Amino acid sequence: MSLASPLRTVGVLMRYWVKGRFTKATIVGLCVGEAFGVIFTLFGSSTYLSFSNRVGLTAGLSEVAGSLILALYLVGLIQSGFNGGGLPVSSSDVDYVFTSPVPPREVFAAKVLLNSLTTVLFGFPPVIVLYLRFSAYYHTSMFTAILAGLVTLVFLVIGLLLSADITLSLGRGIGERKKLWRNLFIILVLVISLLPITLLIPGIPVEIAYVTRILPNGLAAILSVGLVSGTPGGFDYLFDLLLLFAWLGGFLILGVRMARGHFYELLEVSTPGAEKFDQPNQTSRLDSRGKSIWSIVRVKEKILISRTREARALFVNAMFLSGFLVIYALSGSFQSSPTSFLFILFIIGSFGSGTASRWIEKERLWILKSSPVSMRRYVKEVYRARVAPLLIYLIPVTIAVGVPLILSQLSTPSLLLGVVLALPGALEIAGITMAGGMFFASRYGQSSADDILSSQAQELADIRRFLFQTIINLIMVSPIILLVLVSEALATILGPGALPVLAVGLVSVSVVFTGLSINLLLNKAGDAITRREDL
Amino acid sequence: MVEISIENLTKHYGALVALDNVSLKIASGEVFGLLGPNGAGKSTLLKTMVGILRPTTGTIRIGPIDIVTDPEKAKKMIGYLPENPSLYTGLTTQEFLQFVGKIRGVADDLLDQKISESLKTFGLEEKRNSLVGTLSKGMKQKVALIATSLHAPLVLVLDEPLTALDPKTRVSVKDWIGGQTNNGVTTILSTHDLDVAQTHAGRIAIIDHGKIVAVGDVESLRHMANTSSDAKLEDIFLRLTEEKGEGPARR
Repeated sequence: MSLASPLRTVGVLMRYWVKGRFTKATIVGLCVGEAFGVIFTLFGSSTYLSFSNRVGLTAGLSEVAGSLILALYLVGLIQSGFNGGGLPVSSSDVDYVFTSPVPPREVFAAKVLLNSLTTVLFGFPPVIVLYLRFSAYYHTSMFTAILAGLVTLVFLVIGLLLSADITLSLGRGIGERKKLWRNLFIILVLVISLLPITLLIPGIPVEIAYVTRILPNGLAAILSVGLVSGTPGGFDYLFDLLLLFAWLGGFLILGVRMARGHFYELLEVSTPGAEKFDQPNQTSRLDSRGKSIWSIVRVKEKILISRTREARALFVNAMFLSGFLVIYALSGSFQSSPTSFLFILFIIGSFGSGTASRWIEKERLWILKSSPVSMRRYVKEVYRARVAPLLIYLIPVTIAVGVPLILSQLSTPSLLLGVVLALPGALEIAGITMAGGMFFASRYGQSSADDILSSQAQELADIRRFLFQTIINLIMVSPIILLVLVSEALATILGPGALPVLAVGLVSVSVVFTGLSINLLLNKAGDAITRREDL
Repeated sequence: MVEISIENLTKHYGALVALDNVSLKIASGEVFGLLGPNGAGKSTLLKTMVGILRPTTGTIRIGPIDIVTDPEKAKKMIGYLPENPSLYTGLTTQEFLQFVGKIRGVADDLLDQKISESLKTFGLEEKRNSLVGTLSKGMKQKVALIATSLHAPLVLVLDEPLTALDPKTRVSVKDWIGGQTNNGVTTILSTHDLDVAQTHAGRIAIIDHGKIVAVGDVESLRHMANTSSDAKLEDIFLRLTEEKGEGPARR
């Protein structure tokens, strides 16, 4: 084969995958996703900068924070690599690409190249916005922001290559058979990556943090934050940059070498709707004797949540958001505006609706729709089962953030009312957005491509669903936000004596409103299932 | 035992006419075969019969009950098996069957007994505590069949029950269908397996482009198709559907 041949094959494969990926629907979806990504990046970076300003974080500590965040990304990719997900493949890849005479090395090259390109392309807007925000804060030039962004993107590509290499290495020694080594490796990377955190302990030598300078996450953080914050670095930066590219080159060469052999059986094929279970046999947790139909529906739902990845995803989301909330609380934004607390909890609520939207059991609706059960009631019972774990995660977070807030507002009763309303209001918002999520999941969720809707039509339906869901959820929760907003004025007009009665009255109003809203949304969800035709 | 009566049934998906003025009468205890090319409207007809889809016009009565106006009563009498039954993969076989039995109104004292008997019949006792997601395709099909019949339905609606099954499983499923019909259950059987239709069904309807093109026993279908007296059902089917061309009808 000539030299041009493999390159041409890689090009053909990439074009084939790009055509499959970039339909009109996915492009619209990506634009919407990018817009949301940029908004959240702006919000997150502003919160972080406000926090660092308040607690006096130096650029050095920001490097540590950056290094830790990038380390988490790296560890996630390493784990994905060990699970065979380092090179994402679909079943059509298996059927049509892997059965073709294309050498595995060229498939590998095309895969990593396309993944890297898409990562850079879609990571670029939010990453650049992030560093532009930082450069505005540190009064550095736009050029440094772009440079810092590019360094971060190089790091993201390194992570992808590392993950792909680990997947390929499964057949070369540290595979599935050696789970202990695999876990030790993840722990080792995690420990080294997290070393900068020791800087927060007084008296710990600074040199310990330098250990991470040799790892990609440490290098990327030092370079990006250092550049954008205007920390003088000189030749150190050049050396770090060279080291970062050495990692990139090293992982690329390693991957290409390992991909010479047949590696397809190592990959995890992503099959929509397929779940992986660690234990094929389980003790029955559903005893129907003496229980009502609806209690069985709730038990069934709880079992499904706990046995699938949903519970884990909910936990990870809750942990991530708790950490964010703590930083947000410490940033001082709460004290200046209790309504900002509602905004954050609305984001948490949206995560709840995200969890709800995973629920739609479209492929299994035949069981329910051919049974003599009311769909409205069924949806309500599913909601009851699903909202419970969400509240279990959210209540401690709300209390942890809310109680210090109440204590700090004791001297200003008018603001205190807003905070007292905001705490249950936050949970109410989560409840409403979850019901909203279930309604939109019922209406638009998960259609298989071979049904009446084509896959592209389904993607468009998903985008429409996401936009409608966001807008409707905002409309539905706006009365609760409004109550909090007017509470300060009401408290001032009626005076401190009326505060307890006012608090009880307004909380009752918001609880009744929440109940009615949830009921309305769930009835609509039930009706949507009854009317669905694409089964 | 109940009879099924379908009158002037039409189902539109936008401009697509999936069912076009279908009328059928299926007697109590009858095994009724439904044949047709891909996309002819078989699955739509079955889904409309069991109340999953709403007809655009027309009526479907399960015994005296109209499935559109009183779906809950009608559904108590029906057991439905879709073409590709998707089950709750995160439940064990036992849990799944308990859940289905419960929502289909099986009494508690009967449910455990029914599940045990059915698992034994299908040789799935050892899979009682296995997650449904870990079962083979054939085993899942058997579990779906058990779920279909847990509430002892008077009407069975089976959409391609033998698709993609290995020979051993096919035999056990065919035996199970035979057992149900011996008990007087009215059965509607949609299948591509003409052999199965010929063996099990007393009468057969051939549907094409959303229309019933022929109904009757094999002998009368031979007559309608103008085929020889020893013609196989395959030849009859091809003759009756050959002139219709490809593609679904449009308004």
